[in-house]
Amino acid sequence: MNELDVSVRIDASASTVFRFFTDPVRMCEWMGVAADADPRPGGTYRVDVTGRDVASGSYVEIVPHERVVWTWGWEGNPDFPPGSSTVEVTLEADGDATVVRLRHTGLPDGPSAARHREGWEHYLARLVAAGTGSDAGRDPWVQPSR
Amino acid sequence: MDAALRALAEPTRRQILRLVRDRERTAGDIAEHFDVTRPAVSQHLRALQEAQLVTVRRDGTRRWYRARPEGLSEMQAWLASMWRGNLADLKRAAEREERSVRARRGGTMRAKGRA
Repeated sequence: MNELDVSVRIDASASTVFRFFTDPVRMCEWMGVAADADPRPGGTYRVDVTGRDVASGSYVEIVPHERVVWTWGWEGNPDFPPGSSTVEVTLEADGDATVVRLRHTGLPDGPSAARHREGWEHYLARLVAAGTGSDAGRDPWVQPSR
Repeated sequence: MDAALRALAEPTRRQILRLVRDRERTAGDIAEHFDVTRPAVSQHLRALQEAQLVTVRRDGTRRWYRARPEGLSEMQAWLASMWRGNLADLKRAAEREERSVRARRGGTMRAKGRA
């Protein structure tokens, strides 16, 4: 199972949601702390996700208000380099809302991902916050294990 | 995937998983690392087992736990949670923008009952 499949229903039109995939300013509102993007097929993007982890790749396909596909990987990570995996997002209107489905495919295998541990913990904390609708706040796993 | 992420949403369970990642341990050994009660640890272990994140080996009366290597890898777990967190942020940001777009359009949207 080397792919992820995540969906969310957003109370906004597909045209509003679509802008968040191509406009660097809006990308920063949900993907990272800094972003640079050239949203056309073959155009590159770079997102500083955490302030330390930079993801980059290029746009593969852009269908306005419907579908965006881009490659993904981490700069400086030979196990998971830029361009090594693919993120595919589809936007589907559902009344006044839009269902966003994100599939991340071609993920590298394995438990070799020890180097991701900090990110793992960081994002699990975010997951908890997202699941409860609260602010991420303090990372609940800051104390070292005994 | 969701069962695994739900299991991992609890900090104690993440710590347990970390303990048994490289080494098989008994429930008693695991419990010694935590201030919570033994039954509470057993409950966490059961949740991890149900999510297929750990395997259990019986040895007489003892049960040995170990992280299941083919379970959700850390990389996938954190990437999944990254995307979920990101999409939650996207939802907030896009809905905020949509509200202001609709407010700017004014009357026409109000006619549809959505100011």
